[in-house]
Amino acid sequence: MTHALMAAIGMPGFPPAEDLVRLLPVLILSTGFVLLLLLDLVTPPSARTALAVLSAVFLAATLGAVILGWFDTAHHGLAYYGSYAYDRFGLFVDGIILASALVVVLISPGYLNRRGLHYGEYYALILGATVGMMLLAAASSLVVIFLGIELLSVSLYILCGFAHTEERSQESALKYLMLGGFASGFLLYGMALVYGETGHTTLTGIRASLDALHGTDSLLLIGIGLMFVGFAFKISAAPFHTWTPDVYQGAPTSVTTFMSVTTKVAAFAALIRVFSSTFEGTYLKWNGIVAFVAIVSMVIGNLAALGQTSVKRMLAYSGVAQAGYMLIGVAVQSPQATVGSLYYLAAYAAMNIGAFAVITMMAGRGEDLDSYDSIRGLAFRRPYVAAAMGLFLFSLGGFPPTAGFFGKFFVFSAAIQHGQIALALWGIATSAVSVFYYLKVGLLMYSRPREGEAGYDWARTTVAGSVALAATTAGTLVLGIFTYLIYSAATLAQMGTFPVPPNS
Amino acid sequence: MTNVPWLTVVLVIPLGTAILLQLVPRSDRGAIKAVTVLGTLATAGVVAGLLIAFDRNPVIHAVGPGPQGVVLAFQFEEIHSWIPAIGATYHVGLDGLSAWLLALDAGVFLLGAVAISSRTTERLKFYCGLLLLTQAATIGVLLSVDMLLFYFFWEGMLVPLYFLLASYGDRDRGRATLKFIGYTVAGSLLMLLAIIYLYVHSRPTALGHPSFDLQLLMLYPGDTQQPVTFLGLQLLTPQQFAFVAFALAFAIKVPLVPFHTWLPDSYANCPPATLTFFAGIVSKLGAFGFIRYGLTLFPGPVHDFQWILEGLAILSIIYGAMLALAQSDIKRIVAYSSISHLGFIALGIFALNLNGINGAIIQMVNHGLIIAALFLVVGYIEARTGTRDRHAISGLERRMPWLYALFLVITLAGLGMPGMNSFVGEFTIMLGAFQASPLLAVLAGVGVMLACWYMLRLHQGLMHEPLSPAAETVRDIGAAERLVLLPLAALMVLIGVYPKPLGDITRSSAVQYVTRASAPPPPVATLGTP
Repeated sequence: MTHALMAAIGMPGFPPAEDLVRLLPVLILSTGFVLLLLLDLVTPPSARTALAVLSAVFLAATLGAVILGWFDTAHHGLAYYGSYAYDRFGLFVDGIILASALVVVLISPGYLNRRGLHYGEYYALILGATVGMMLLAAASSLVVIFLGIELLSVSLYILCGFAHTEERSQESALKYLMLGGFASGFLLYGMALVYGETGHTTLTGIRASLDALHGTDSLLLIGIGLMFVGFAFKISAAPFHTWTPDVYQGAPTSVTTFMSVTTKVAAFAALIRVFSSTFEGTYLKWNGIVAFVAIVSMVIGNLAALGQTSVKRMLAYSGVAQAGYMLIGVAVQSPQATVGSLYYLAAYAAMNIGAFAVITMMAGRGEDLDSYDSIRGLAFRRPYVAAAMGLFLFSLGGFPPTAGFFGKFFVFSAAIQHGQIALALWGIATSAVSVFYYLKVGLLMYSRPREGEAGYDWARTTVAGSVALAATTAGTLVLGIFTYLIYSAATLAQMGTFPVPPNS
Repeated sequence: MTNVPWLTVVLVIPLGTAILLQLVPRSDRGAIKAVTVLGTLATAGVVAGLLIAFDRNPVIHAVGPGPQGVVLAFQFEEIHSWIPAIGATYHVGLDGLSAWLLALDAGVFLLGAVAISSRTTERLKFYCGLLLLTQAATIGVLLSVDMLLFYFFWEGMLVPLYFLLASYGDRDRGRATLKFIGYTVAGSLLMLLAIIYLYVHSRPTALGHPSFDLQLLMLYPGDTQQPVTFLGLQLLTPQQFAFVAFALAFAIKVPLVPFHTWLPDSYANCPPATLTFFAGIVSKLGAFGFIRYGLTLFPGPVHDFQWILEGLAILSIIYGAMLALAQSDIKRIVAYSSISHLGFIALGIFALNLNGINGAIIQMVNHGLIIAALFLVVGYIEARTGTRDRHAISGLERRMPWLYALFLVITLAGLGMPGMNSFVGEFTIMLGAFQASPLLAVLAGVGVMLACWYMLRLHQGLMHEPLSPAAETVRDIGAAERLVLLPLAALMVLIGVYPKPLGDITRSSAVQYVTRASAPPPPVATLGTP
């Protein structure tokens, strides 16, 4: 009967069983999500660390499945009627997201305990958001993109307000909810217009239809523009970044760590898949806008970061600037540019998670401490933490031998290679500015606490926290020295993009 | 033994020592210093071996037609792929230019390690680790032949230097450090753009993609391109823009006036042990870059801008000397004298003839020795008298006979007395400048006279005349400090009397650089057929 019904509504039958193999990473993590949510009901408060361990196990298992999937080229392809792409592009991004989430779970128990926020839902929600991000990274239809974005957003709305007794955290959640809702609206409206123009929801269909259309209708362009606004909000590119500093500052720092990296990475993946690959034919119509947003992000992000006095806000604006650099890889249409963006995403994950992880370690009992005053003299109490933070700051500033240098190098060289020297020049000029605010924080860490002022007493770093810090440090250095490892993976990811690799 | 990758060994020794250092307990200060000194000593040993094994008369093969077919010949070369997808390689090599600078590098870092006070330096392990990392980065700059690798070390050098300058030194060090890093980064980022530009426009070789390799870039430069026009105004050609970017990065590092303003603040706030290598080698790297990359990659633009660069060099010589004359802070006198002396080196480079470049290479080594020694002397005096004011100190001669004698040698070397090392270098540079234009030599001569003035005035004022209250209770320098200064002074005399070994090693490379720089810009048509 089912078959008859499906035939009646035009479905070609059940999806083949091997689609389940393609969905395996997402399935594992979804199981973890549901399981954790249920287990939380029966777990006594004293045993909540076990939930953290369990969520780490699920993340690691998913990461394992993703790594296996990377080599399982036989199954690579589109699943579920072309709406879900099981390809190296998605798996590469999944890898970044899962590794980031794993590090966040490592730093969370210590931080949440100190803040008195250690509730079990936290881990379930982290997994839920991660599932959304993985869907977003693999989405090859407008519907799945929207599904992914909503899943991750709803989880994050709750996580932002996790410190529910604090006004700042409430403000953060409300702001993110309101503006996130707007952005989803833009995205959805854009999708509707694109669908109306092409008659397809799958990216493959849209691309084929656009290739056949040749001429570009203004409604289609409006649709593309609206979709870009939606994505730009999620990657916090200027001028759609205004929520970023407040939300980042108000949310519990471990949540900020998580969202600042993974949301951006996942949304970028979707952006690249939709713009660089699917809308490739209309590149000339939208590249100016993307380039403009990239430049505005670099300028506003870096200039606004100069005047901050809170490390979290500074990193929020720095995140806006970093989004600008990564957008160069979208504004320039070439395989190298896409690879550059992918490399930048990996680099950004390592260094930004590292920097925020250090801030979580600053947290005091019951409150976040993130002012420049509280980081002063860090090197005298925690020399290794300070050295690691210094490395992350240098990486964010784009110095070799760190990840950030090669991220910038690859996008800038892609821009120059394609004659868009202006983009590279803006990038260079703003990078020079960025050195000042990153290194200002560095200087504070290495200057003595003021006379007569008792330095802030740092909590002990947990073992898991040390592991997380060591991992991000190692990641930052490996990406900065043994560049070919991730670069070749990013190249393979770019070549293995479905529906079609950009510029193939 | 020939299969040992000696250059990689030189690069890895400081890195390995820095890692080894983390195993030494923080409280065991003696051991920390001992490990550091041993590490730098090992580097110096290997470098000495390399210099002995260095082929003084290498056979130069032309790889392509015409003068641009002669690429730089390197010895002890190693090539491994690094980022194969974009054609970046780990390509290191040693030529006559980098050989002596490598020796200088090993020497000043050894000196810096010996000069650390293991009792009074806070967080000694951190300091020693940073010293070793800085050494590794500077060695990388000298050895790399691949441009991306070069930039990697060039910019990476700033990371340990930042922590060194930001954590050790006087009260104003924070601001000075930001100024130094900001200046340098602005210059080097533009250079990065230029490197990418050269890369993109280099002729794809048999490899199938462009290359960062200096030798390949010299062989297959891009097409000569039309000047960029902006609002109907004809500006520079892209090659000229690229040269300006390189020149700016190097001019900031040297520094040439008017890009020098970071230097006095940085040097004044820096402890003497750090200055031995910060002033001793880091600023030489700018001059090194001018020769290694400026002359080889931009034979055309170097000539186009020759008179501007010569002008800046002369300006540095005279303005630096005048600023040195105007100071009363002894550390700043030495800092400004450094600008003036570096101007000489730049003048030699931009004379673009054999004498000039030979002299510049020799003078780089000389100046490294002299400036390290001068900063140490100034540091000793400051530590003992508690002041850096020239007017507050006098008559040290009676209290410090050892320092008096050694400082005299260093002063004479600094002002270019015949028989001292500086004379050899400055004289050769003057010859080159005279060949380029007699006026340059005359103007540079003014600089030499000014140098006599401020150096002798400094020495006389500090050493002779009646004893000042600040100098009443000072003790002479001890055995350890003599051990640091004596070899330096001995080298200054030795090079002054017998400079042949220096010239022997540099000669063949200097010829290559000059040939390359004076080669006419490559004709466009023949380029496609290697």
